[in-house]
Amino acid sequence: MAVKVAIATRLRRARWLTYIYFRCLGQQMKAILAYEADFVILLISAGLVQITGFLFIWTVFQRIPDINGWTFWQVVMMYSLIFITEGVGSLFFEGTWRVSRLVYNGNFDQILVRPVSPIVQVLAGAVGFNGLGNIVTGGALLAISLGNVPAQWTPGRLLMLVILIISAATIRVAINLATSACAFWIKTPWSMVPMFVHQLGEFAKYPITIYSMAVQAMVVVAIPFAFVSFFPTAYLFNMESWSAIGLLTPLVAVYCMFMAVWIFRVGLRRYESTGH
Amino acid sequence: MRGLNKYFSIAKASLEVIFVYRAGFAFNMIGTVFYVVAMFYLWQTIFLGKPGALGGFTWPEMKAYLIVAFILNSTMTWFDEWTMGSDIREGRVATDLARPIDFQLKRFAEAIGPVPFELVSALGIGAVVAVVFGGIALPADPVHLALFIVSAALATLLKFAIIYCVSMVAFWTTGMEGVQNARMAVQNIFSGALIPLVFFPEWLRGFASVLPFQGMISTPALTYLGAMDGPTTAFMIGTQAVWVVGLMLFGRLLWRSAIKAVTINGG
Repeated sequence: MAVKVAIATRLRRARWLTYIYFRCLGQQMKAILAYEADFVILLISAGLVQITGFLFIWTVFQRIPDINGWTFWQVVMMYSLIFITEGVGSLFFEGTWRVSRLVYNGNFDQILVRPVSPIVQVLAGAVGFNGLGNIVTGGALLAISLGNVPAQWTPGRLLMLVILIISAATIRVAINLATSACAFWIKTPWSMVPMFVHQLGEFAKYPITIYSMAVQAMVVVAIPFAFVSFFPTAYLFNMESWSAIGLLTPLVAVYCMFMAVWIFRVGLRRYESTGH
Repeated sequence: MRGLNKYFSIAKASLEVIFVYRAGFAFNMIGTVFYVVAMFYLWQTIFLGKPGALGGFTWPEMKAYLIVAFILNSTMTWFDEWTMGSDIREGRVATDLARPIDFQLKRFAEAIGPVPFELVSALGIGAVVAVVFGGIALPADPVHLALFIVSAALATLLKFAIIYCVSMVAFWTTGMEGVQNARMAVQNIFSGALIPLVFFPEWLRGFASVLPFQGMISTPALTYLGAMDGPTTAFMIGTQAVWVVGLMLFGRLLWRSAIKAVTINGG
């Protein structure tokens, strides 16, 4: 009986937080849409970045049949997963990039005095509309590469595809959240550590087998970018010896989110209201 | 000469700003290194799988190309559409208008100030990467090295001229982040920063050849390698110079028409 009540309370709380999150995000969206031209420019630029990235891969594959056994569409899929997840991060969770400045200026106070989880407020703190451009073009590239998957599309596989995309996005958001918490230790007005770690994502655009053991260990174990692109692609294309690891992606996502929330909470306890 | 003194002071001040924010600068730099290292591994795999040359490049030459591209991309990173855009958006250009200085020259001084420091840092990192990956091809000969330095200087001027022109958009829109990303995307593919232009199919190469961007990476890198014959090298460096002069003048023209449209916020 007591367990049932506890679960009901948790569910109600989760629903309330989701509601608050979308209300905050909605306000941010209004603020951006006020500048119509900016919005359009951001969308187009995000599309351009991906088209040029796609042109690069395409040009490379004009000269060679595969990279370590990975073919054109497999690399395109890895690439598209990086961009879709990045897009989800920008569109819905851009707020993590504001943490450094908020902490640096002491403005994080305003988040602490409100009766809502600081993490939800941080995540809903900004909207990056370039994310929409990333999701649309990345989604198109993913769809085309999925069309080149030799396997049959059973309902089970389709479900797994959805789970993999959600997990991949979760991993990236978790990495952003965890690194944004560095602001509580290292005080700079801009997101130094998050940007630094974000750049590590470059390694996840190509099959990890091309790297040395040290780099592989970094993107598989230390900061698991390989689970955003490489392992899910390996699973969807049934690549031997790698595809089984792809099934672990949801677990890695849960682990990453858990760690990110924990790190953020430890950081929060150190917050000391600079300048007040 | 006295007239230039003030611009020299501006350049010096701009360099000092980098020293103040050295931690941010260092992190930025290391971040771009990841990209270069990923590229090195990618091309290493491609070249190891295919012995000999690819697109006319040997592996040591390709490594040299990547390093030259990295170094050229590492300069003038603190001058961008964002900085100038926020000066325009927040009305700081009003003080520039009131001062007895040339707007474009002032911006150039600000942009060029940190370049020596950026260059030294990039050369250091480039050297480490080159050594780790087993060395790179050296310049073809002393003449090509000298020509490369000229071409690299022109490439830096060209970068300034292009960013200056694009920044003028800030007089009409506040969305400089998108504008900057779009410029970088186009520049990355057509300058040869992502991949040497010879790898492109005919139609794409034709496109790249009529745009100014090839002068930012491709021309200096190919000059370094001595990959073009004498007349072609001369023609390509000449093309760089023409673009620099043309775009500098175009930037001045844009500025003149822009200040007529200017609204100074809070002014």
